[in-house]
Parts: sequence; structure tokens; C-alpha cells
Amino acid sequence: MRVKAATILFLMILSSTISTANPGGEGDAVRSRDCAGSCHASSSTNGVSSATLSIDFPDEIYAGLLMEIQTSVEGVDVSSNSMTGMAILINSDGAKDLPANDGWEVITDPNGGTNNYVEITDSFSSQNVVTRSWTLRAPSNPGMYDMFLAVQHGSPNGGVAMSGISNLTQVEVSAVPENLPQLAPDWTPTNTRNLGDETIIKLETLNTDSATVELKIGAEISEISVVDGKFTIPPAVNPGVVEWRVILTGEGPTQTSPWFRLTAQEAGWEIDETALYLQSIALLLLCAGLVILRRPVGEDYNKNYDNTDYISTEPEETQMMNQTLTVATQESTSNAGPPLPPDGLPGGWTTEQWQYYGQEHLDKLARGEI
Amino acid sequence: MISSGTLHVIATELTIGMFALSGIAFLLCLLKKGPLSREAVAHWALLGGLMATPFAIFTGLNAAPGEGIENPLLANKMLLSTASAGLAIGILIRRKWGGDVDSRHASIGMISVALMLTTAGMGGEYSRNETLLYFVPKETVFLFPIWASILLIVLGVVMLGKSAVEHRR
Repeated sequence: MRVKAATILFLMILSSTISTANPGGEGDAVRSRDCAGSCHASSSTNGVSSATLSIDFPDEIYAGLLMEIQTSVEGVDVSSNSMTGMAILINSDGAKDLPANDGWEVITDPNGGTNNYVEITDSFSSQNVVTRSWTLRAPSNPGMYDMFLAVQHGSPNGGVAMSGISNLTQVEVSAVPENLPQLAPDWTPTNTRNLGDETIIKLETLNTDSATVELKIGAEISEISVVDGKFTIPPAVNPGVVEWRVILTGEGPTQTSPWFRLTAQEAGWEIDETALYLQSIALLLLCAGLVILRRPVGEDYNKNYDNTDYISTEPEETQMMNQTLTVATQESTSNAGPPLPPDGLPGGWTTEQWQYYGQEHLDKLARGEI
Repeated sequence: MISSGTLHVIATELTIGMFALSGIAFLLCLLKKGPLSREAVAHWALLGGLMATPFAIFTGLNAAPGEGIENPLLANKMLLSTASAGLAIGILIRRKWGGDVDSRHASIGMISVALMLTTAGMGGEYSRNETLLYFVPKETVFLFPIWASILLIVLGVVMLGKSAVEHRR
């Protein structure tokens, strides 16, 4: 029997797959390339993705200013949930590869967050190209910088996690020309808002005489006036994304910002945390109290410290003399358990075990289970 | 250094492992089957799981993204885990005070274990959006008003105090 069981277990172990990606993903986050934390097993056990990966940069990138890049994933079949994890990185080593290590800052990722790793659900297939936009702030020091796009996804048949990384893309970050109209270095756009709320955005600019905002909803682009550096985006009725950009004019060349995305979402779930914590404490005390209140009844209750009977029935002088004897007698009579079998205690049993479990043993004997 | 998420996994494994062992031992107590050590195993494993529970709760709160409790699953996890801990404390104190391990005692122990396992199952749904607890109404939080919770706290303290006094007699 044991050999059969061991054989079955061994066959079950052999039938397991080596690794698989978490089918639901791990969520957007700031993550290194080492599988971006989304796989169960080592990245060395992954398959190689057949995706063609690319990053498109704008022609001019100025140090410390905002810019938009496009990442593309082309020609790959993924698992049935059509999800792919996408990360922008500064090297392919799997360590110290976060964009922040080179001074890049993710202002808006494709999902409206500020992460370098996002999980995208789209129509990934061998015939499609899936493109996403990222808004970044360039490093503050001019120079040449490296950038990679890495992906991980499941395979159509499941079982193996696939990962891939693009070829090196080098970009030149230039020094900012004098008098260039620009958004202030410490200004960041609003990425999310609740449904039904109009959004007032305050622009902070440098070297700018006037600003015009363009709002893109679907394919339609409209202009919004900027008053005292502020403009208002009307409230959203349904969850979705609107995009806007600002055109800055001044003494220097006119500048157009990248498209900023504003994601409208339903208001988050809220709860009165004080009431929740108080109810938790109440439940703990109430449950404990209810269980403890259920007192043991009758002889089941071991009155460990109750010697009232002996004190009330015996004279004081004999009580001291007989104390040891009394305790022994009490143990052997009141809690003695069922009568011992003719052969004495069963093999391996102690007297205490017989007191508590003897009756159960006799019942089993009577039923022929032993 | 390890992240709160990893620490939460460690604390959860400890808690759930010991609660599951305790649940099996309580089941044997209920059926009156199995080795004689089942009672000791049930209560000691429950104690071990109970000691690991606060670590699991606090590391879980730290590991949750965002600030505070922003999901009904988290609120229900909080309520279920404290209810389970309360039952476990009651079971252990009752046994310590000499209570017999009868069928009701074993059943309450199993309920405590079931609540804790449900809590863990909801954690899996929160982090991976996968669950086997399809029919449990996890998106609804039954929250008392504060005055009612305070009343229940007073009631619980009175019950505990009454039990302690009666036990001394």
C-alpha cells in the first residue's frame, strides 16, 4: 500500500509543469526586469517571447522637461486573457535597470499611474501591433541615454511564461535653450479624477507669455482658454480617458507639451475605519466571551482547586494528616474512569490516559473496532 | 530587507498552516477518532496560529496598496479574522480552565478555523482576483454604528469578567 501511494505521489510530481506566469498578473508597479516579479519560477526557466518590441522617442528631448514616448508590441500570441506585462528599463542586466536610476521620471504610464511596469490587456496577436504612450520627464543632465522595452506574457497553450526585451534604443537629451517656453520643472499633471467632477488644472510655466490648451476626446480636438494659468476640464460621465496638451509661446521657440492623459474612474470605496476597528474589537471580545460563558457542566468540569468537600467534612487536625492520602484517593475515585479490564491497563497506556479515554477504548472494544 | 508583501506571506503561511492542522485535529475530536494526542494537537496548533495572527493582520495592512482600507474584501477580512481569533481565544481559555472537549467545543474550534481559512481565501481573491469562494457575499460589509460596537464591547468585557469570577469560585 505504501509503495503504491509513493508511486502515485511520484507520478504526480513528475506531471507538474515547470513554471507558469501568474495568470491574473501582479499589478502595475515599479519593477526591475527580473521577470518583473510576475512569475513563479526563475526567469531562467522562461521561454523567449517572439514579440517585436520598439520604442519611439520625439525628435527633440530637453533635459528635465516632459516628453512622450510610444512603446509598441508587435506580432505575438499570448495567453487567453490577452494580458502582457510591459516595462521600460535602462539596461538589460536585470539589476539597477529602473528608469529612475538614470534620472528618468515616469509622469504618466499607459494605465494612468506612475510605474515603469504596467499590465496591458489588448488584442495581442501575431497580426496586431499594440502601442501605448508614456509621459516621462527627461533626466536633468544632458547626454546619451539607453532605453529598453521588456515584456512578459503567457503562451497560447499555457504552461510556460515568456519574456522578451527590445534592442537598445539610444536617445540624446539636450540642454534646454535659453528663453525656451516650458512647464516648470516641479510641475506634474493630474492623472486621475472621479466621475462627475470637473477638473481644474493649474499650469506652472517658465519663459511663457501665453498658453493654449487643446483637449482631445476621442478624435475630436477642442481648445480651452487658460485664465490666470488655470483651465477647467468638464466632468466625465463614463469611465475613460481624455487627453490634453498645452502650447506655450514666449520669446523662445513655441513649445508643445506631450499629450497628458486624465483617467476618469468611479469614486473609490470608503468605510468608516473607526467603526470598523471598533466592530472588530467587539467581535473578538464577544466571540471569546460567548465561548467562555459556556461553562462545563456536572462532573465534566475538573475543579482543580476546589477542596471544599474535604474542608467541610473532615476535622481540622485530621485534615492535615490525611491531605496527601486524600488527594491520592480523590484521583483514584472521582476521576478514576471506567473499571480496569481484568488484565489491567492496555499496553502503552498510562493511568491518566485511562481516566480520560478508557471508556472510549471499551466502547471500541465492544464494537469490535479494536 | 524584505518587503511587507513577503513578510505577509510568511506570517500567513504560519497562521493558516497551524489553523488548518488545528481544524483537522478538532474534526477528529468531534468524530472521536484518531490518536489520543488529537486534543493536545488541536489546542496547541490553535494557540500557535493565534500567536501568528496579529503578524498576519498588520503585515497585510502594510502590504496593501494605497492608504487605509479601500476595499470591502479588506474590511471583511478584518472582521472575519478578529471573530475567528475571538472564538480561538475562548476555546483555549475554556480548555485551560478545565472545560471538556465535547462535540460543541470541537465544533466551535472548527468554526474558528473555517473563519480564518475563509479570511485567507479572500486574501487570495484580493491579490490575484481568483477564488473558490464564489458564493460568499464578500463585497458587502455589515458594519454596525459606533454606539452598537461600543455596546458589544461592553457586553463582551462583562461576559469575560463574569466568566473569570465564576471560574474562581
